[in-house]
Amino acid sequence: MIDRENGWRLLFTATLLMLAMLGLGFRLAFLHVGPHERTRELYEEVTHIQRTINAPRGNIVDARGRLLALDHPTVDVCVDPKVICARGQVLAVSEVLSRALQLPRGVVQSRVDRPKRRFEYVKRFVSEEKAEEIRELALKGVFFRESTVRQYPQETLMCHVVGFSNLEGVGSAGIELIMNKLLKGRPGLLESEVDGRRNELYSLRKVDIAPEQGADIHLTLDQNIQYFTEKALDEVMEEYNAKGAWAIVQRVKTGEILAMAARPGFDLNDFRNAVDPQKMNSPIGYNYEPGSTMKAMVIAAAIDMGIVTPETMIDCENGAWLHEGRILHDSHPYGILSVSDILKKSSNIGIAKIAALYMKPEVLDSYLRDFGIARKHGAGLPGEESGYLLPVSKWPKIKASRVGIGQGVTVTALQMMNALCSIGNGGVLMKPYVVKKIVHNGETIVEGKPEVAGRPISAEAADITLKMLARVTEKGGTGRRACVRGYRVAGKTGTAQKTLKGRRGYSDTNYIGSFMGFLPAEDPEIAIIVVVDEPQPIHAGGRVAAPAFAEIARQTARYLDIPSPSYKFAGTQSGNGR
Amino acid sequence: MIGPFDDFRVLKKMNWLLNIAVGLLIILGIMFIYSACYIDGDQAAEGGIKHRKQMLWAMVGLVAYLTAALYDYRWLGRISWVFYAACLVLLVSVLIGGETIGGARRWLKLPGGVLLQPSELAKLAVIIVLSRELSRLGSGLRRLRLVFLMLLVTAIPMALILVQDLGTTIVFVPIVFAILFVGGARIRVLLLLGGAVCILVMLVLGALFLPAKLGVDEEGQARVTKATFLKDYQRQRIEAFFDPEKYAREAGYSYIQTRIAVGSGGVFGKGFTKGTQNILGFLPRSVAPTDFLFSVIAEETGFVGSVVLLLLFGTVISCGMHVAALAREKMGRLLCVGVVAMFFSHAFINVAMIVGLLPITGLPLPLLSYGGSFMVCTMGALGLIQSVYIRSHRPH
Repeated sequence: MIDRENGWRLLFTATLLMLAMLGLGFRLAFLHVGPHERTRELYEEVTHIQRTINAPRGNIVDARGRLLALDHPTVDVCVDPKVICARGQVLAVSEVLSRALQLPRGVVQSRVDRPKRRFEYVKRFVSEEKAEEIRELALKGVFFRESTVRQYPQETLMCHVVGFSNLEGVGSAGIELIMNKLLKGRPGLLESEVDGRRNELYSLRKVDIAPEQGADIHLTLDQNIQYFTEKALDEVMEEYNAKGAWAIVQRVKTGEILAMAARPGFDLNDFRNAVDPQKMNSPIGYNYEPGSTMKAMVIAAAIDMGIVTPETMIDCENGAWLHEGRILHDSHPYGILSVSDILKKSSNIGIAKIAALYMKPEVLDSYLRDFGIARKHGAGLPGEESGYLLPVSKWPKIKASRVGIGQGVTVTALQMMNALCSIGNGGVLMKPYVVKKIVHNGETIVEGKPEVAGRPISAEAADITLKMLARVTEKGGTGRRACVRGYRVAGKTGTAQKTLKGRRGYSDTNYIGSFMGFLPAEDPEIAIIVVVDEPQPIHAGGRVAAPAFAEIARQTARYLDIPSPSYKFAGTQSGNGR
Repeated sequence: MIGPFDDFRVLKKMNWLLNIAVGLLIILGIMFIYSACYIDGDQAAEGGIKHRKQMLWAMVGLVAYLTAALYDYRWLGRISWVFYAACLVLLVSVLIGGETIGGARRWLKLPGGVLLQPSELAKLAVIIVLSRELSRLGSGLRRLRLVFLMLLVTAIPMALILVQDLGTTIVFVPIVFAILFVGGARIRVLLLLGGAVCILVMLVLGALFLPAKLGVDEEGQARVTKATFLKDYQRQRIEAFFDPEKYAREAGYSYIQTRIAVGSGGVFGKGFTKGTQNILGFLPRSVAPTDFLFSVIAEETGFVGSVVLLLLFGTVISCGMHVAALAREKMGRLLCVGVVAMFFSHAFINVAMIVGLLPITGLPLPLLSYGGSFMVCTMGALGLIQSVYIRSHRPH
């Protein structure tokens, strides 16, 4: 029979067990309904996700909608080194990945073999097909992230204008930089919950803002004209062993830039390996002394003032003129020349006399500044330089004569181009621009329109100067090589000694040869400037730059179907003279 | 009376409160196994299999329950040692050629693909042997030698199970204590034993934490922790228990997730099959219907459901203790106490683990968790309580 004396033990045990259950009940009450912010926080932390979805960058296209820059979907191959190391598969995974991604195994291994890390890129911007191949191997610890890579299908073409965006998708040069805000679009936002496997639960999505693709930038530049231009520059670089060469093609009447090229250039898809000289957008970013091309502006100013006519005769002193204690030379000695011939032969002495003796320095200074010298045009590209012209109040006595022939003043090719265009455009200076329109979601939000930037000279003066400029390419002029079959070409050559680095004075060996001009000379449609930096051994702008001008002009005129007024008269393609 | 089995009519005399509590617990178990495995899509099939299998096991368990109830427990004495020896053989054969599931070798494959977990049977065997021997020897128990004999009887299967299953081994401790205590062992001896267990636990914990606190270098720490004979995952679980956020991605993961599950259940829960913690896979899917079933129930039914569950457990336990009090003789009482202690230990340790009061151990929830051997053993054990009840003194 049961021992009665131990009955209390049973009761005690029963009580103990029930108390234990009661204790659990209290704990449960605490967990279920008690304060548990920490638990809630933890819950949020694990289940809640917030993700930004990268918006595709807008495209950059040329005037006819041809793609110059676009986003291409790619995949980043990433690893979780900790997982791989914990499974002891460093070697195996490295081997597979290095073979699939064509990377040296050592490189892959050094990224995988970091037991403390949870994230490491193995290779970024891998094609989706390649990523799919690796995905199929189902390697533990290897995962993928969607990304995009900026692609530039035309590679080096228009590299300085288009520019590039860096690996993080931030525009870093050219249009990519200056239009970054519009191009980058608005990233999407996703707030949602995930399950234990980090898969999103679509039904619990809270915020879902779709990414908005950035705007497409339509340039005024035309891929084909750009191609003619760059090809001509390449030829110049080769033939004259030049250090650099650059050119602009612009519509005279609107200021639209049709091509802007510089050499050396670089492949936009490989911008990381480009060096600074290659990235320089010289047409707007390089200040140089223009030399004789400046003479066109001086003559135009003098005509506009009415102090000379094309027929005014000026003594060119047989090639040497003492002025303010310094002797100025002409490359060929001339006697008395008409103003028109001074321009045609590019006589330094003739122009210097007009600038220094016929005009007050203040007037010359004001005309040049009206032409856009020493100020930025704001063409809508980063890195635009303004050139430099000493304030007129500080000019020494000799200054006017030297500025007149393009010495002691620095300019950019863009400034010279536009000063010239104003002469071809009835004296109206247009603001140059490169953006034709900006299209966002199929809607044009910005449209580039011709904009008048000034009126440096009268229409009559412009017309007279234009006619004189047309003679430069005639027989006996400095710009013979700029002739284009079927058109009359007006323009001006320039050959400037470069200043010595760190010293006063000019170099005897390093020159900048340039030619700027337009066609058809009767009613200019397009203007082109070609600048060649340090051509060797020939320096003259008429020899090195004019042929490149002719080449670009010939192809561009044909490509744009520019009618030639002079072509109506058979056999008179090189002009009817005067 | 035919042999040890009584006529079916005695079943009318069963404790119906216990029957109802057991029945409800089994039904709840099946429901929430379904819920724990419930997800949309193709894996629903797998879930369907699990709750149906559990139904089948519940039927087998019911047969065991009724058989045990019909069986006159007083006859158990005669076969107790045979049963015990058979269990030892099974335990040894598990060690030699057991099936490994989830990294633990705990199962024997029987013909027909049924997996048997001998450690469950061993618990029952120890309960039967202990209650039989202690009741037979009567007051002789006050002799220390017998206590040690009983401890040895317990220690052998414990040692065999310890190799693979720390959780189940621990359950032996409260069972033996309860039987010895109610069986009339000297308080002094029990205190001594309790002290020994406490010192052992302190030693293990000390070995895990003290070296680091005392600034012993890592090598020295590793040597000391190795001396505890704990496996890495067990050590991590204990460390994670004391600092779950430090191990949030490893051993502390389940711990944090279960607390989140319980906490997010609130008062009324998220609704049947609506628990996001288990469905969305935060709970390890393999254990959601087994060791972590309670967190599913707590999340989906909230505080109300948890309390109902605790009340059902409490009902089973108090019925068991009530039957122990009514038992006609000492063996019946000790059998009841042992079975109740086993049932309680599982339920308490499992729930305490989920509410963060104990480190993670792989102990299932009795009558609810998915698993055949355990279901059948528990039902058989509870059937013994009914067997004692049917044959007890009762005021009519």
